[in-house]
Amino acid sequence: GQNGTEVKKFKKFESYKRENQFPPKVRNLEIIVDQKNMTVILPVMGRPVPFHINTIKNASKNDEGEWSFLRINFLSPGQGVGRKDDQPFEDASAQFVRSLTFRSLDGDRYDEIATQISNMKKEATKKEQAKKDMED
Amino acid sequence: MAAMESFDNIYLDLSKDSGKCRFAENGLGWKPSGSSNTFTLDAGDIASAQWSRAAKGYEVKILKRSSEIVHLDGFQEEDQARLVKIFKNWYSANLETKEHALRGWNWGKTEFSKAELVFNVQNRPSFEIPYSEISNTNLAGRNEVAIEFAASDEADTGTNGHLGGARGRGKKSGAGKDQMVEMRFYIPGVTTRKETEGEDA
Repeated sequence: GQNGTEVKKFKKFESYKRENQFPPKVRNLEIIVDQKNMTVILPVMGRPVPFHINTIKNASKNDEGEWSFLRINFLSPGQGVGRKDDQPFEDASAQFVRSLTFRSLDGDRYDEIATQISNMKKEATKKEQAKKDMED
Repeated sequence: MAAMESFDNIYLDLSKDSGKCRFAENGLGWKPSGSSNTFTLDAGDIASAQWSRAAKGYEVKILKRSSEIVHLDGFQEEDQARLVKIFKNWYSANLETKEHALRGWNWGKTEFSKAELVFNVQNRPSFEIPYSEISNTNLAGRNEVAIEFAASDEADTGTNGHLGGARGRGKKSGAGKDQMVEMRFYIPGVTTRKETEGEDA
């Protein structure tokens, strides 16, 4: 399939089926990287909200004074140029959460979370590539 | 039914401490353990109520007639039947069950309800943002809308600060150690373009 005209297809994915699959830590209203389910759980107004690694573009940490900021960028249409734009979407006419930014006084924790998310993203990309190689 | 129904380990509006929540015919009350301050809500102020899974356990979310939201988290799954009865018999309200989206998708549809912005994934709410928590919004780029939240120190709990750390209006994002300060949405263009304008792109 290296002929350049290949159309990438959107592949379905799912973080959880039932609420009791959430890690118990969700009660702390904190960011959780759930390696087992390839999902990042983000606290939004008191609710744990899962985002599958396939929706995440990257995560970055910045410092400003005593505060650290963790920004999670999600994949959405019209981002980037060229290659990145052939990212398949199930429904490109939908509305997308494009980014979420959190702040904390614990910068080391945000370094760790950003690294965990990056590693999980790499792992997911690797798996995807391995699957594709098998199909070729 | 008893004249009073009581539940322990309930959190009011993302409060730091849990408390006792009591329901009676004329309304409900919540009191943090070891405090004499009590939050009360009159039966007549209750417009509607929802039952969902939340962070501490199950939540009862009440929409007041004034379009404000009261959030009670920490109920057990088996409390549902009792609470449905309480709301039906005492407040003539249907405690509606709302299941949230768990797929982990970031695309869906925003809906503007009376008190909240709701982001729906496959017709299920993924999350809700009460309007009272939004400090600013702006058009951050083409098809991009940014919503800002007033983060506040954990010590600063706002108007209901004396109530076991319950978060007052506009202070909810400060409840945990991870405080949400900004959310951006991609909104596909709906502007109608004249054909001539599209050509130079």
